[in-house]
Amino acid sequence: MAGDQPPKPPQSSGANDGWTMVGYLISGILVFGGIGWLVDRGLHANGIPIAVGAIIGAILSIYLVFKRYGST
Amino acid sequence: MSRAALVLSGDLPWPPSVDDFYLPDLFGGNSPWFTKFTLMVWLAVAAIIIFFLVAYRNPKMVPSKAQWIAESIYGFNREGVAREMIGHEGLRFGPYLTTLFCFIAVTNVFAILPLFQISPNSHIAFPAMLAVFTYVLYIYQGIAKHGFGKFIKQSLIPPDVPWWLIPLLMLIEFAQTFLLRPFTLALRLFANMFAGHIVLLVFTLGGFALLNASALWAPVSLLSWVLTVALTFLEALICMLQAYVFVLLTGSYLQTSLAEEH
Repeated sequence: MAGDQPPKPPQSSGANDGWTMVGYLISGILVFGGIGWLVDRGLHANGIPIAVGAIIGAILSIYLVFKRYGST
Repeated sequence: MSRAALVLSGDLPWPPSVDDFYLPDLFGGNSPWFTKFTLMVWLAVAAIIIFFLVAYRNPKMVPSKAQWIAESIYGFNREGVAREMIGHEGLRFGPYLTTLFCFIAVTNVFAILPLFQISPNSHIAFPAMLAVFTYVLYIYQGIAKHGFGKFIKQSLIPPDVPWWLIPLLMLIEFAQTFLLRPFTLALRLFANMFAGHIVLLVFTLGGFALLNASALWAPVSLLSWVLTVALTFLEALICMLQAYVFVLLTGSYLQTSLAEEH
């Protein structure tokens, strides 16, 4: 049985986290890009709020990834 | 008429389209109640059950080949994913992760199995259902461990950030944990299998199309078929990789649900 093998120390490899971080980056851009889109619909500002929102979302999600996964 | 005969007769279903994924009913009914997909899912489940029953029917200290394979698969999910991602607490998810892995791997492999050559997972319904299982599981586990309020708070509020950033980050966390995770989980598997099938169709049927177009193109059509073989091997790799990624992400989501606050 696999349980008969000596137990490995729990270690989380960085590659695993990579798959989840992408999700954060996407959701940040989507959420704030979406808010920007709503603002744009109200203001008719040629889509500039969408771009601003997406950039803010990207910055925030990178910050979030640092907080969640950054070295402690 | 089989597809090859159809193609040779010049009645080329070209270019490949989404219609290629809507298979007819196997018994000739008008509404597709029992398609090749249905058959494949049942076959996959039967194959997995029979394999594990046979492999563990007479377990020995020195395992037979089948027992060794079964143990490797289970050990890989239990140790490699459950223990490594979640820690000791995660070992109880070993059976779920193994079942998930086997089901996705076998249904994916239908994509390159002769006579089947399409994976049920190239229909969004199957990955979506699997993603729902994982979604319900990790939310349930989080609530069961921390209680509703604490679980929500823990998944929405990241540790040590300035208070004025919390509302902004909460939006991202909410979208990520409760809305986007099941979507990306399902879409990743679906899109890989869908695209894989389309690519194989393009290269196989493209060979026939070139051959039919003019004799001059015959060498190119040969090249197209050689590439089909190469891409089939690539597809085999992707089938296994996507099963692994799905299980890995399930483990990772469970881990974030069960994690203690730090």
